[in-house]
Amino acid sequence: MATTRKALSRGALALYAVAAVTAAATASSAFFLWARGNPAGLAVAAALPPSLLLGFIALASRFLCSALPLRSTSRMSIAIAHAGSAAAASGLWVLTWQSWVPALNRQLAAKLTPDYSILFGLAVLIYLAAVAVHYLFLEIDAVRDAEDEVLHYRVLAREAELRAFKAQVDPHFLFNSLNAVASMCGSRPLEAREMAQRLADFFRLILRLGALERITLAEEIDLVQRYLAIEKVRFGERLTTHIDVDEGASQCMVPPLLLQPLVENAVRHGLASMLEGGTINIVATLEDHMLRILIDNPADPDRADARGEGVGLENARGRLSAVSEGQAVLQAREAEGQFRVVIELPR
Amino acid sequence: MIRIVIVDDELPARELLREFLSADEDCEIVAECANGFEAVKAVAQHDPDLLLLDIQMPKLDGFEVLELLDRSPIVVFVTAHDEHALRAFEVHALDYLLKPLSEERFRQVMERVKRAAGHHDRQPVASLATSLRARPLQRVVVRGEDGAIQVVPVSRLDYVEAADDGIFIATGGVKHRKQQPIGELAQQLDPARFVRIHRAYVVNIERIEKIELYAKDSRVAILRDGTRLPASRSGYQRLRELL
Repeated sequence: MATTRKALSRGALALYAVAAVTAAATASSAFFLWARGNPAGLAVAAALPPSLLLGFIALASRFLCSALPLRSTSRMSIAIAHAGSAAAASGLWVLTWQSWVPALNRQLAAKLTPDYSILFGLAVLIYLAAVAVHYLFLEIDAVRDAEDEVLHYRVLAREAELRAFKAQVDPHFLFNSLNAVASMCGSRPLEAREMAQRLADFFRLILRLGALERITLAEEIDLVQRYLAIEKVRFGERLTTHIDVDEGASQCMVPPLLLQPLVENAVRHGLASMLEGGTINIVATLEDHMLRILIDNPADPDRADARGEGVGLENARGRLSAVSEGQAVLQAREAEGQFRVVIELPR
Repeated sequence: MIRIVIVDDELPARELLREFLSADEDCEIVAECANGFEAVKAVAQHDPDLLLLDIQMPKLDGFEVLELLDRSPIVVFVTAHDEHALRAFEVHALDYLLKPLSEERFRQVMERVKRAAGHHDRQPVASLATSLRARPLQRVVVRGEDGAIQVVPVSRLDYVEAADDGIFIATGGVKHRKQQPIGELAQQLDPARFVRIHRAYVVNIERIEKIELYAKDSRVAILRDGTRLPASRSGYQRLRELL
């Protein structure tokens, strides 16, 4: 919708641009002829066709302008390109004068000869003015696009937040954990009490961190470790973990609950699908202003419920893209019984 | 005496069931299993009266375990997931217990089990269980001659062949026998990937190399590994619609 409207207004703008340049060229050159003592009607008739041509050439220069954006092209090459095209356009304009005016009026043609250099200069001025106007409009467009983009990411972020809150934690995790608490009540009451406490701490932390915009990676890792400690009670020796976060990485800011659903996936669809279980690896490094987080776990390639993971991954990808304005990358790959997620977030 | 096999991949969950049962003098736990493979073996070995069965387990889920049993005991599912309840009752599970377990509810279920134990006929539940599996089927479970369980993901299934009393599942040059009508399995497989090209054959279309005319109105499908399978006229039509 928005794009169509923009395209329409661009089409209209092009017409106005041709009309404006043609009018300016016609008016100025006709005035020049009239000032030299030619009848006004003849002056306008002589000036109109070359001016129309100049109008179209000036319009076409828009392409040159968008090919040489102000921000990313050196001043020198812009100056050379436009000086060259201004000279070519003005040359064409003078040639049109020279071929058109003799056909219109021989007397006028004879009188005009010494003034072609002035007409040339006039065309260069008009052409360069058109280029300046093009750049102005391109800048306005760029600003508008940037605003659209910011808005787009803001909407994305809000949507992702909503989804994240809905899918924070799989409720079956709670049901199974409570069952484990119930199981320990009889034989190991102290452990049961501790497990209940851990569950409460974990959910309290989810609520607290979830309400923040950004948290440090250290805080997120703390949350993940609490989660894994609870799962270890259920899975016993089937679940081992290896977490390695370097000093720089742990101080990086990340959206809250970014890793938690991914680690939950690693347990639910990875470890839980393996008879013997395995190790969940979490490694985070900061190198050259790039935060790199790797989550790696074994998974049965023949597991029946390979679908649920997609949602968690999509959510994480959406949130990452939203907070990093498209700069971050999340890749998931499964090969030889290992499932691996890699996140790269520029700092 | 009710003889019981407990199946759950989580130790605390097994412990809780054991604790509930320890107070009941009419019950005896004959085996505790941490996965579906152990469960199939334990049921064959002990022929229990009751199977307390978790659903979400590695490799073989609870429904697949039932599919592999020759003689089915009374089944009570024990799971945190209530979304399987309907399917559970349709495979004639006696009851369905949700985690965390309520002891009161557990006692009620055990009373029902005791009443039912006297007149429970131990029919295999295979066909019932398979007919209710999530569709399209993602993997097929079979038991080999030696009793070893094979889990064949449908992506590795080449074709299915009807035999005298069941079917053969062909995968990578090996054939596994299974007690199941071919029509039933054909219905559960993804219709975009598997076609019944003949009364006696269902083929994975990704395996087909070419189709040749064999005689008037009959064709033969040649698979990548050189296997030749007959295709009836209607079977060939179904195949053509898909390709």
